[in-house]
Amino acid sequence: MLNHHPSIEMLTDYAAGSLALSHSLCIAAHLEHCPECQQQVQKLEILGAHFFDQVPQESSRLDKLKDTFFERLEKQPTIQKNTPLADHAENSTLWDKYKVPYSLRQFITKSYDELTWMRLSPSFKIAILHNEEGGPQVSLTRVKAGAHMPTHTHTGDEITLVLEGAFSDEQGVYRRGDFINRDASHKHKPIVTKDAECICLTVLDAPIEFTGWFARLFNPILRRYHPHSP
Amino acid sequence: MERATQTQPNDHLVEDMLAIAQRRDQLALTRLFDHYVPKVRAFCLAAQPGSNIMADDIAQEVMIRIWNKAHTYKPEAASLNTWVFTLARNARIDYLRKNSRHQSSIDPEYLWRNVVDENADPFKDAQQKRDQERIQQGLDKLPPDQKQVLSKVYLEGKTHKEAAAELSLPLGTIKSRVRLAMHKLTIYIKR
Repeated sequence: MLNHHPSIEMLTDYAAGSLALSHSLCIAAHLEHCPECQQQVQKLEILGAHFFDQVPQESSRLDKLKDTFFERLEKQPTIQKNTPLADHAENSTLWDKYKVPYSLRQFITKSYDELTWMRLSPSFKIAILHNEEGGPQVSLTRVKAGAHMPTHTHTGDEITLVLEGAFSDEQGVYRRGDFINRDASHKHKPIVTKDAECICLTVLDAPIEFTGWFARLFNPILRRYHPHSP
Repeated sequence: MERATQTQPNDHLVEDMLAIAQRRDQLALTRLFDHYVPKVRAFCLAAQPGSNIMADDIAQEVMIRIWNKAHTYKPEAASLNTWVFTLARNARIDYLRKNSRHQSSIDPEYLWRNVVDENADPFKDAQQKRDQERIQQGLDKLPPDQKQVLSKVYLEGKTHKEAAAELSLPLGTIKSRVRLAMHKLTIYIKR
């Protein structure tokens, strides 16, 4: 049983499709561990379908659109019932120590080890998955068993999803699948449990101007290691 | 096959889905087009009024996905309306992602998977129908102010913050309306 979940507002925005993709990524990874939230999302989708079904429609003629559509359909390649992605996912679990969540497989094909990890201290590594200018930063952090994560405050919201291992802070213990949402005012000092290393998915709503020492200090390095740079 | 007592207005459309999955029946697809395309267009126009090109494009995309994914639809896991709503939602997200100023390289295809579908559950059909009924009944009794916020979130694709700004209400009011509504609809159970 997980103890830390996304708020109902966030799940609603996710089910409605209005939540930022970076945040939706964390929700998707959480859902893979949480049948309870899965059920809520299913109900939220049923609710969405009611609004969808009753949306006021304008009466417009659709004959032309229908012709265009069927022309387009003719040009469609024949579909394959099994997507290569699904097969690949199965293979990767056979020999890998950790199972990479489905939602992250757009960034990680086989294993966390294939990423470019930057060592920021002897016990702390970070890998950037996605970085938008003026937008959120999506990254993985990997901290050794028993080690402290760097103390930091954030300029925007920070979402953390525990992928492997566990950590704790002043407010509690967070295990695999737990979803933690902290706002800008929050200052915390997380420490990883002693039994195993901890891998987390982290989304930082980075504003255009960085003010936190953590981001300011490491941003030139982080940019150099941006996955999309040559 | 299930007995006719459970007949829903969409049953003939569900049969059309089967006809597409099994026989690639284009006539069945035409019927689904006539039913769903006006809804998908209206759903898109609610988010971006006047964007007819976008609405046409997304509507076609949804129909192509229906054609290509018909074999993955499981009537016991979700009603056809819910399934098509999720296709429309995802197609709208994808369109906005590719065509907006803030292009994102996060692929939405990976973010909304029917995770639950893979666990076969004999009670799911009954559970799903019960959820449908409860939500429908709850929705009928929902105060207009709560319904309005939900409609902004679902149809117009607004976040809670955007809905608050548009209705000139504090964010806290919007959040509490959503929470109250979810309680009444038995979607939100306090943990």
